[in-house]
Amino acid sequence: MKRKGKDTLFAWFTILPALSIQVVFIYAPLIWAIFISFFRWNMIRPMRFVGLANYERMFSKAEFWDSLRITFVYVLGTVPTSIFIGLGLALLMNMEWLKLKGFFRTAFYIPVITAMAAAAVIWSWIFEPSYGFLNWFLSLFGIEGVGWLSDPDYSLPALMIVGVWKRIGYNMVLFLAGLQVIPKSLYEVADIDGASKFSKFWNITWPLLSPTTLFVVILQFIASFRVFVSVSVMTQGGPSKSTRVITYYLYQQAFENMKFGYSSAIAVFMFALMLIFTILQFKISKRRTFYK
Amino acid sequence: MTKKPHLTKRIIIYLILVAVMIMINLPFLWMVVTSFKTEKEVFTWPIKFYPTLFSFENYEGAFSLMPLTRLLLNTLFIAGSVTVLQLILNSLAAYGLSRFKFKGRDVIFIILIGTLMIPREVIIIPLYIIINNMGLVDTFQSQIFPFASSAFGIFLLRQFFLGIPDELEDAALMDGASRLQIFWKIILPLSLPALWTTAIFSFLASWNSYLWPLVAINDSNKQMIQVGLSQFSSDWMTQWTWKMAATTIAVVPIIIFFFFIQKQYVEGIRGIGIKG
Repeated sequence: MKRKGKDTLFAWFTILPALSIQVVFIYAPLIWAIFISFFRWNMIRPMRFVGLANYERMFSKAEFWDSLRITFVYVLGTVPTSIFIGLGLALLMNMEWLKLKGFFRTAFYIPVITAMAAAAVIWSWIFEPSYGFLNWFLSLFGIEGVGWLSDPDYSLPALMIVGVWKRIGYNMVLFLAGLQVIPKSLYEVADIDGASKFSKFWNITWPLLSPTTLFVVILQFIASFRVFVSVSVMTQGGPSKSTRVITYYLYQQAFENMKFGYSSAIAVFMFALMLIFTILQFKISKRRTFYK
Repeated sequence: MTKKPHLTKRIIIYLILVAVMIMINLPFLWMVVTSFKTEKEVFTWPIKFYPTLFSFENYEGAFSLMPLTRLLLNTLFIAGSVTVLQLILNSLAAYGLSRFKFKGRDVIFIILIGTLMIPREVIIIPLYIIINNMGLVDTFQSQIFPFASSAFGIFLLRQFFLGIPDELEDAALMDGASRLQIFWKIILPLSLPALWTTAIFSFLASWNSYLWPLVAINDSNKQMIQVGLSQFSSDWMTQWTWKMAATTIAVVPIIIFFFFIQKQYVEGIRGIGIKG
């Protein structure tokens, strides 16, 4: 049919611009990153094929495992905390009688839309050891202040505080959406049976919210695994490499040491790891629609 | 209907919410307060938590020490261009994907959406090499072209277009309208809420971008606001009053902007969460 042929042509015309952008600036670089990871290259001397040497070096280096360990500590410190606080706020915000909901939601959400770079500059000032707000606040309770960003024992927790602060609002909004899908009739039945608050939460809210919870966990896992900006602005991986997370390690190897082959191997490793989690996320979000 | 709890209980819940709200926004308050202090008063103990300098001295200092106006204009131009390009490219692609059946359509859709699985950090090295080979290092184009289309925008718009009944289009086709006319005169006007949402997302993402401008731009006159701000911050270690003034300039307009558009934005977030 003539109409159909014309339509197909038009369809391709609509898709091509977006498709070419994605191919040139995302897929081509991805394939190239995998390719480069088998070479030794510093952009000055020609590329030299080294097979799997970059990967072997990566897996045998203590600094790689260190950066991976630091990243996981950061993830484990940030994700559950931001989820608990986000869920708690969502439960409070879900009360029917509550007024000013829109106002509270917006206020809780401000850190999410603020640029991490700007937020990190503000937090550097709050963490300032001698005249910073946090140490002053602690001193009110007789707690001796610490050098948040200069002490290797506190630098990573300081970054975690910023990470949690930045994510609470986002989690709250997702949980709120999840809570609103739960049918009210279930709670009414429970009320007739004389169920306690805790029992209602444990037997209705929590199980029916679990798809949302899983979704948020994986989303936040990926997001905090990618932590870079706060590290770059606040600590540059220090002091004494205590906050050198994997993205920062990758960045240093690539753009400070010009080891493009080696850093591409790190990038490919990161991609593989995150791919697993993204696939998991898609699987779960497919199941979520089931509950709707 | 669930009963309202006791008044005292309600007051306690309000108090908790207000307390959390203050805690979460304290860094911003502290930023603004610091920007209205003299340098001497910043370094006093115990700290004063109220402003003492009732002038814009620190703001003048920030504007004279860093090319703040330049940075803001650069970022506004880049974020604006990215947003416009994304609106055009994403909505066109979404239209093609939602209205026509043709061979390979589903594969194309997966390819376009699949970029969601590829984090920028992973491709940053080859992306830098590509931009370098194109001679685009230190240009605005380097910050615009790679972001001219986004999986999220295409996905969201496609969902929206699917909800627009075909009958509208069939009637227009009968009247002899072309597909492009239908897209422009029927589909887009009906999709304003979804277009708004994607525009806000792409604008904010561009305004807040950090890693890519850090890598691809060295010229401080071409730099974007977030990188410029953090470099200024590390150059002037202890000038907190100026730094907080500069940060206020970078942050407060976005917060005010957010107050106006928060509804569309939150709907978009829910869109990710629910339709995933």
